[in-house]
Amino acid sequence: MHARLKFFAFFALFALLIAACAPDEPAAPVDEETPEEEPVDEEPEEEPEEEPVDDEDEPVVRAEADLVIWADDTRTPALQPFADEFGAANEVEVAVQELGFGDIRDGLVVSGPAGEGPDIIIGAHDWLGELVENGVVAPIDLSGVEGDLEEVAVQAFTFDGQTYGVPYALENVALFRNTDLAPDVPATWEELEETALALQEDGEVEQGVVWPAEPADPYHNYPVVTAHGGYVFGMQDDGTYDPSDLGIDSEGGLEAARHFGEMIERGVLSPDITYELMIEFFGGGDAAYAITGPWAMRDFDTAGVPYEVTPIPDIAGGTPQPFVGVQGFMVSAFAENELLANTFVLDYMTTTDAQLAMFEADARPPALTAAFEEVADDPNIEGFGEAGAAGVPMPAIPEMASVWEAWTDAYELLYEGALEPEEAFEQAAEQIRGLIQ
Amino acid sequence: MTDTQAPGSGLHSPGSGPGGLAADIRRGTHPLSRFGDTLVGIVVKLALLSFVNGAAIYMIVRMVTLGAPWWGLALTAAATLVLNVVYLGKGALPLKYLVPGTLFLLMFQVFPFAYTFYIAFTNYGMGQILTQEQAIERIERVSIRPLPDAPRFDAVPFADGDDLALLLTSADGEVFLGHPADGLIPVDELDVETVDDRIVAADGYERLSLGAAQDRIDAFTDLRIPIDEGEIELVSLTSATLREQTRIWDPETETLVDRLTGDVYAPSDRGRLVNVDDPADRLSPGWRVVVGTENFVRAFTTDAIRGPFLRVVVWTYLFALLSTVATFTLGLLLAITLNDPRVRGRRFIRLAMIVPYALPTFMTALIWRGMMNRRFGVINELLGAQIPWLNDPTMARVSVVLVNLWFGFPYMFLLCSAALQSIPDDLYEAASVDGASGWGRFRRITLPLLLVAMAPVLIATFAFNFNNFNIIYLLTGGNPPIAGAATPVGHTDILISYTFRIAFETGAGQDFGLGATVAIMTFLMVAVIAAVSFRWVAPLEEVNR
Repeated sequence: MHARLKFFAFFALFALLIAACAPDEPAAPVDEETPEEEPVDEEPEEEPEEEPVDDEDEPVVRAEADLVIWADDTRTPALQPFADEFGAANEVEVAVQELGFGDIRDGLVVSGPAGEGPDIIIGAHDWLGELVENGVVAPIDLSGVEGDLEEVAVQAFTFDGQTYGVPYALENVALFRNTDLAPDVPATWEELEETALALQEDGEVEQGVVWPAEPADPYHNYPVVTAHGGYVFGMQDDGTYDPSDLGIDSEGGLEAARHFGEMIERGVLSPDITYELMIEFFGGGDAAYAITGPWAMRDFDTAGVPYEVTPIPDIAGGTPQPFVGVQGFMVSAFAENELLANTFVLDYMTTTDAQLAMFEADARPPALTAAFEEVADDPNIEGFGEAGAAGVPMPAIPEMASVWEAWTDAYELLYEGALEPEEAFEQAAEQIRGLIQ
Repeated sequence: MTDTQAPGSGLHSPGSGPGGLAADIRRGTHPLSRFGDTLVGIVVKLALLSFVNGAAIYMIVRMVTLGAPWWGLALTAAATLVLNVVYLGKGALPLKYLVPGTLFLLMFQVFPFAYTFYIAFTNYGMGQILTQEQAIERIERVSIRPLPDAPRFDAVPFADGDDLALLLTSADGEVFLGHPADGLIPVDELDVETVDDRIVAADGYERLSLGAAQDRIDAFTDLRIPIDEGEIELVSLTSATLREQTRIWDPETETLVDRLTGDVYAPSDRGRLVNVDDPADRLSPGWRVVVGTENFVRAFTTDAIRGPFLRVVVWTYLFALLSTVATFTLGLLLAITLNDPRVRGRRFIRLAMIVPYALPTFMTALIWRGMMNRRFGVINELLGAQIPWLNDPTMARVSVVLVNLWFGFPYMFLLCSAALQSIPDDLYEAASVDGASGWGRFRRITLPLLLVAMAPVLIATFAFNFNNFNIIYLLTGGNPPIAGAATPVGHTDILISYTFRIAFETGAGQDFGLGATVAIMTFLMVAVIAAVSFRWVAPLEEVNR
């Protein structure tokens, strides 16, 4: 009896499995090769804790509703009231489904064309390269609202002459300073290095300045590179990146490499600092400075450390330009209800209330100018805004995948002294050219 | 027969005749087969079958609505039919046992392998995930752009029966009723009804809520209101503007024309629309096509892939071998030690041994990574040293094997314990009588008998570690990197993690075709090893005969 029961249970399962496989795009065509964790360096703007570590291979299936929104765990609660309000006011059913942040992108690519995807996703602008190339996001006409939004945010969501999303928040790294340990805003990076080293030598802190270096992190390192005149890809006249102009081994890039070598040598930069250690050290008063983004504020607030956020000071006379990432709402190319989806994102998510609610949820400065001004009296938000104003949008072109991979390796080799700094950057540049042809 | 049966073997009721279980089943006299004839049995059977059928019908309906291919429908229907025939019919008892297993074999072994094989011959990957139809539809859709300086209107959906219209408010506050046949009519000229300053009806048309408009969404999506400059269409359910489609597909000639530039694009055999005058000008997205053996050629000839390939393969074998030998040795040692009755608290120790096996790898690998941090890790702090566990190429390889040993030994320990207990004590007694030493007994009795049971496990462990992506990815991510490599690759990268880098993290995005190709090559390697080793261990099984 038992055995037979089991067989029947299996049949039911089997039946469901056929259903899951029936559409032309099975969720995981080559199971072993597509684990769902996000590689850390591919999503550098996301704090590691947010990365969902789950090994479920189940395909995500669209909820039953007129309008389905996919969001991650921090944004879902903030979004829910607006979704409910929209649903009630317009007599439509709205569902907000919670997914891991990285799973939203992968899920849209797999489920969208199979007709199981959402109408709207929350996502980062640097996904656009992949999503547009795959044809899974729909353009949104922003001409009615773009005047109300920060220019750089709209620019970031522009790909190939079309706009693909309604931005709601900006994010970039800046300098956190422990105001007890280092009361004064450093005028230059050199001054910061001296203060950091002095505190380190006095034994007042474990490490003077901290930012993620294990694994090496080209995203957090980018302000130093740009201050020396280095860059990742050249900018074309229309404000888009040119993959054929790689700047990692440019004169400024190599200058930056030498600076990293020097910082390792002098002990300014410790290659053993992980993201978690950075949070622990700065939060616990064991570091005087930290370089990271607004997502870390909640952790530092919880730890109760007194801090202030300012732009990273000039390095060797050059202004650091961090990568600016833009978060926003995108509409699926396979949305069942595109007009309704557009109505929600254009009318409901561009209000000051909505953008402030999202700000409450994840502390990223709002992209709506009116909402940003409401929160800018917080000097720390203003600090991020100021740092971001000097920044450049993170490239969204698909070639960035090769850059993260090769550049991370180059920093690792540089940190360990396995290669001379210039050699490491030159090798990365060569690898990237080879990979993107 | 029944007399020699060990007590407690419940399958054999005292009444069963000669011939044992198989014969009972054939004759239909086994209690299991009789159960199906009782009332409860029949009810349970019908309930479960109707559940399966219900699920199948739900699936088929869903597949039809999703537009699944005909063979998917046919397979589902056939499988359901087979199940019903087999379980409703009398007789065909062997089939009742075989069908589920066969179906699962097809589902979980044959289908995934066949699908991987198929993918390896396609260009499935970034930009090539859609069907041709979907891709062309997307290209047309993306080419719809707002006209430069086009007027924008706030829009409200109106309807008079099936006749739709829009109430449009221009930027300077003029209000019109837009109608697909009559164009824009200023509301001042119409008979309107207002509530709280909102126009709720005009010229017989009534205001719709968004929900009501949503119910006729297709009609509103297609609604076009002609004016002199072009056609007004909805952008959302509350706004409208003038747009134009700049790229148009002609199914007759199978070409796409860009109306702005005059360029003509035709489908290529690579699954892209390509400018007929300029092959470098390709449109996104593309679609999935079969590209033959191209992925295999690429895997063997591209420098970026071939370069570190041999290195990675050697380390993969070494890693799998070391992991297997190390876990087996430690597991066996512990099993022998704890098998000795003189050890106290064996039960507790055994339980403690299993802990690493019970914890999720995803958590513990990351914890190990933290503990092995050179400057701030617990291990180095306890040792008062700065050992580069994960930073030095050689040390990183040692660390990976060590941590894998920690993960793997409880499994070996469990199996060895079980195998040890199945070795009859009288063999040892006889050996003692013959004057064999402890080592002699281990070498001549324990090890050979143990290997009979353990050899298949060892082969499986080797194959598992050959593809042990998790531990590499989570502990080192393949790092430290190899200096001077043509493509990003690390000292601890094994084939599967290296494939992951090549196929999914570099180049211009994900390349499932290439990934499937390397997966097949890896499969062949493991299959050859398994076949050879099984032949090699076959003589061991003679011991038992």
